[in-house]
Amino acid sequence: MGTAAAAPQRVASLNLCSDELALLLAAPGQLVSVSRLGADVRETPLAARAAGLHRNRGRVTDVVGLAPDLVLTSGGDPAAAATARRLGIPTVELPQPTDIAGIEANVRSVAAALDRRDAGEALVAAMRRDLGAAPAASTPALLVAGGGFVSGDTGLTATLLRRAGLAAQPVLRGRVSIEGLLLRPPPVLLLSRYHPGERSANAAWLEHPALRRLPAGVRSIETDGRRWTCAGPTLAPEIARLRALVAG
Amino acid sequence: MKPARLVAGGALVVVVLAAASLAWDPAMLRAVAARDPALAQAILVELRLPRTALAVLIGASLGAGGAAMQGLLRNPLASPDVLGPSTGAALGAILAGYQFGGGPLAIAGGGIAGALAALLLLLALAGPAAGTATLVLAGVAISALAGAAMNLALSLAPSPYALYDLMFWLFGSLADRSLPQLAIAAPLLAIGTAALLGCRHRLDSLALGEDVAQSLGVDVARLRWTIVVATGVTTGAGVAVAGSIGVVGLIVPHLVRPLVGGRPGAALLPAALAGAALLTAADMVVRVAIAGEELKLGVLTALLGAPFFLALVLRGRGQ
Repeated sequence: MGTAAAAPQRVASLNLCSDELALLLAAPGQLVSVSRLGADVRETPLAARAAGLHRNRGRVTDVVGLAPDLVLTSGGDPAAAATARRLGIPTVELPQPTDIAGIEANVRSVAAALDRRDAGEALVAAMRRDLGAAPAASTPALLVAGGGFVSGDTGLTATLLRRAGLAAQPVLRGRVSIEGLLLRPPPVLLLSRYHPGERSANAAWLEHPALRRLPAGVRSIETDGRRWTCAGPTLAPEIARLRALVAG
Repeated sequence: MKPARLVAGGALVVVVLAAASLAWDPAMLRAVAARDPALAQAILVELRLPRTALAVLIGASLGAGGAAMQGLLRNPLASPDVLGPSTGAALGAILAGYQFGGGPLAIAGGGIAGALAALLLLLALAGPAAGTATLVLAGVAISALAGAAMNLALSLAPSPYALYDLMFWLFGSLADRSLPQLAIAAPLLAIGTAALLGCRHRLDSLALGEDVAQSLGVDVARLRWTIVVATGVTTGAGVAVAGSIGVVGLIVPHLVRPLVGGRPGAALLPAALAGAALLTAADMVVRVAIAGEELKLGVLTALLGAPFFLALVLRGRGQ
């Protein structure tokens, strides 16, 4: 890499989180394959950008026939990156970010591999603008997904919520019951929907009539569950929206 | 014990347990009612009521279903969870969920269809009056087949979230069930259980042998169909709303049969009551969180039931 001539022309991404970065950063025509999740509008708000691209199932064998000159992975099959390297394909394996600097580092490493450093810097700048600084005051909150699964009070999700002026509360074993929520509700309840419109046991949990009986004074806010899966750049505008809602 | 007294006692136990389940943690409920009566009402009506009613109905249907199958097949190992219908119901519910979306009606319909298919296959394979070995072999084969198909269906889950969702449902639980879910399952469970209870005199006649029963005016073929369809409906509806809750249908008939002189028909109503009491009690035990996590109801009943199954084996060996 290093020279413009080294820009890869046939990039394949194998996992949802690397798909999102590739879809945000690649030049037109540079990306040839994303995972089927990266092309699924129920999984990522960027799916429309993947229209017409080849879809893989997260395995190197799915894309090797496309003769890729760069493979991007982010979790999924842990052996995928090693396999791609063994086949002599340049490979970028993105670590799971644990803080905001980690998200930015992933953006920059994909941008560098695609030879799209300017686009990478622009995306980092946009993210910083959206995330802003953490407001001085914070409101206790729970980010709850279907089935009562709660995001932890430490880690990347909690850091990002803090930028929206929300302090994620600790929950034992990461799961709440509806009765527990009714008895000890946080001032702000973020309900994260996954595959909205699809019926499932976990989705039914979010539709439980008792959740509409939350005590007065509890704010229940819907949030787009897709953006929290990777907690990547697509989450930044959502954080800005939540911060405006919480402050307003 | 006199049957009437047994039934009255059983009903009393069920009522007491159901009241305890509704009023779980009464000190906390009183505190909430004093602070916010509407919230206390929501907790009682929207959360406690469906949970308790489902425990009673599903428990009763499992007890009656197990007793009816053991009477019909004249076999102490017969019960929906041993011979395949429960696994069939879980498979049917998963397939219906994939095919028609996970709506409660689709899941219940799929569960019932799966349970009925497994039962019909069992009867076709084992024949009407099969010996224990044939019946259990056929049941194990059907369970294994349905289990493998279910694992295949799980491995084809559309996403890791869906897989997680399905696994938790399969563990069996009544936590956070809602009134709409109760409204779908309750009629199916109640009608199916009532149909099973209606077979009690004919089952007692059948215990004397098929020929004797026929001479007493029992239409054995119709009796068989009634029990198969009713068990299929209750198993399917129960699995659809609560996941797999194992072993209740196997144990309960053995607990009550000695109390009614070993008559399979007379054991039906006591078995239904014992099943309701057992499941309601078990559902309260799981609420005592272990390390902050509610135990899964189906896991608990299986843990309690397995030793009983072993005792059955040992007693059978001694004979």
